Amino acid sequence: MTEYSEYVAPDATWISPEIFSDLALYELEKKRVFGRSWLLLGHVSQLPKPGSFLRTYMGEESVLVTRDRSGKIRAHLNACRHRGYQVCQEDRGTSHRFQCRYHGWTYDSDGSLASVPGEESIYYKEIDKREWGLAPVARVETYKGLIFGNFDPDASTLEAFLGDMAWYLDIILDRRKGGTELLGPQRWRIASNWKVVAENHCGDEYHIGFAHGSVFPPDLGANRATPVLHGREIRPALGHGLGVNIFPDEMTPQEWLSVGLGTYPPHVYDYLLGIYDETVERLGAQRAHIGLIHGAVWPNFGMVPIVNSLRIIQPRSVCEVEMWSYCLVDRDAPANVKNWFATQTTRSFGPAGSFEQDDAGNWAAVTHSSFGPEARKHRLNLQMGAGHEERSERVPGELGLTASEINQRGFYLRWMHDMFGGAQS
Amino acid sequence: MMNQELVQLIEVQQWLYREARLLDSRRYDLWLELLDRDIRYQIPSRFSVRQGHVKDFSTWSVERELEVDHALPLIDDDLPALRHRVERLQTGMAWAETPPSITRRLVSNVMILGNDRDGCVSVVSTLIAAKVRGDQRVLFTAERRDRVVPASGEYRLRERYVVLDDTVLAAENLSTLF
Repeated sequence: MTEYSEYVAPDATWISPEIFSDLALYELEKKRVFGRSWLLLGHVSQLPKPGSFLRTYMGEESVLVTRDRSGKIRAHLNACRHRGYQVCQEDRGTSHRFQCRYHGWTYDSDGSLASVPGEESIYYKEIDKREWGLAPVARVETYKGLIFGNFDPDASTLEAFLGDMAWYLDIILDRRKGGTELLGPQRWRIASNWKVVAENHCGDEYHIGFAHGSVFPPDLGANRATPVLHGREIRPALGHGLGVNIFPDEMTPQEWLSVGLGTYPPHVYDYLLGIYDETVERLGAQRAHIGLIHGAVWPNFGMVPIVNSLRIIQPRSVCEVEMWSYCLVDRDAPANVKNWFATQTTRSFGPAGSFEQDDAGNWAAVTHSSFGPEARKHRLNLQMGAGHEERSERVPGELGLTASEINQRGFYLRWMHDMFGGAQS
Repeated sequence: MMNQELVQLIEVQQWLYREARLLDSRRYDLWLELLDRDIRYQIPSRFSVRQGHVKDFSTWSVERELEVDHALPLIDDDLPALRHRVERLQTGMAWAETPPSITRRLVSNVMILGNDRDGCVSVVSTLIAAKVRGDQRVLFTAERRDRVVPASGEYRLRERYVVLDDTVLAAENLSTLF
């Protein structure tokens, strides 16, 4: 096996293709990345009442997320404690009873074992049902509507894990008093290693002008070779990353609302202008002037907030992911505004979206070419903007130009840290 | 079946076959001409959910899997959006279809459900569509629920609702029109 110092450069200016296809590394990631990180499970709006449930993944583990009779949100491994069969076969629904269809053990929405067939006659009343509830996910916490789970009982708090990333997430999660709700997901399969997809969300502005050249006018400048005027790549902490527009104080909301992917129809423009004062009141003028474009929360929570898209990149094998793509909307927005964002998300970043269609093939190709032992000998370049990171008085984190690979370097340094230990700033 | 109904069935069937052939031969320009200006083209997301009442088959409906609260469709297009979809292919940078995929559509089980008050004909059909890219083949199966409107001796597509059979789409994207 390769020395781990050969996977990622000390300054992450190169990586080895091996990390996209090595089975032993993938098995280790299940424990050291997906077994220890805060993973996005969903949104409180998806569990509107006691008994609401949804099925998702943490890494490759099937997880059942429920709202119990008392209204508390819980997460458990979706596996019967008798033989391990999934007790929930549905994507979502409403029930307080989850019955294994193999032998009929039945669990409550709080995870407790409610009944065992033959408890008296063949188990001689000797089974202690309190001991055999569904295995709980060690930690479940929410951040402004988003539900996260962590298998590690000793993990830091969710807020500490997010760090300064939360300061930016508030811009989409907390700009209105009523908070947000989540629509979706759209789900599709891509023959890619999860990191290829996640690093793209975390920091790849470079591909936009070229890979998405069918959508942008040619005068945008292919490959982002000309840095974007108000654009910055931001690394709030290793592993998390964002691309943002930081609009100068003297710019009015009317002016920066025109910097998006196309123009807003009047009812959406009026809505966004109308909530500006509320956003300033809640987040301050400084954050009200920041627009999020793309980003990722370590390890597999991606986002394209410029079109309200959030996604979970679910690893299904070393070379396959399921993309679970959602649309985030302000809960108190009028229905026609929510519908407009749902349509825009779908038309741009759904599986048939004008952007998204062209992404999957790139990620699959990168993964595919990493399997050959010859190809694995040759490092992949990740040096764009290295040594040119900056700090700003206005915003937390390290900054790079749009484009810069500052965030991908952070992503792979975080990977090295979680996998093999080492410095983390 | 009355002669008139038979004629309509054959006309609509032939229209559907011709449409499929235009798409397989990548004549998206001619395909756009088959669309009504008020077209709504939708592919809903599908989910695994419990059936209603286990003894009552009428509650086992497919609709329960499609009409889930807060769901997002996979495609929700009007005519400008469909035109944009086609124009994008002509930029030379729509990489998922550059070079174009090889596709084969099989349209079957065509049934006219009725003539609607607004003059549209409701027709359902089953579609199997194969897409080959490079050395990889993907197979889509679906029911299409269409409403077509008679116009100058032929038909225009007013509504299409594609019920794909995938819950998690077994394809890296949807660059194929159904």
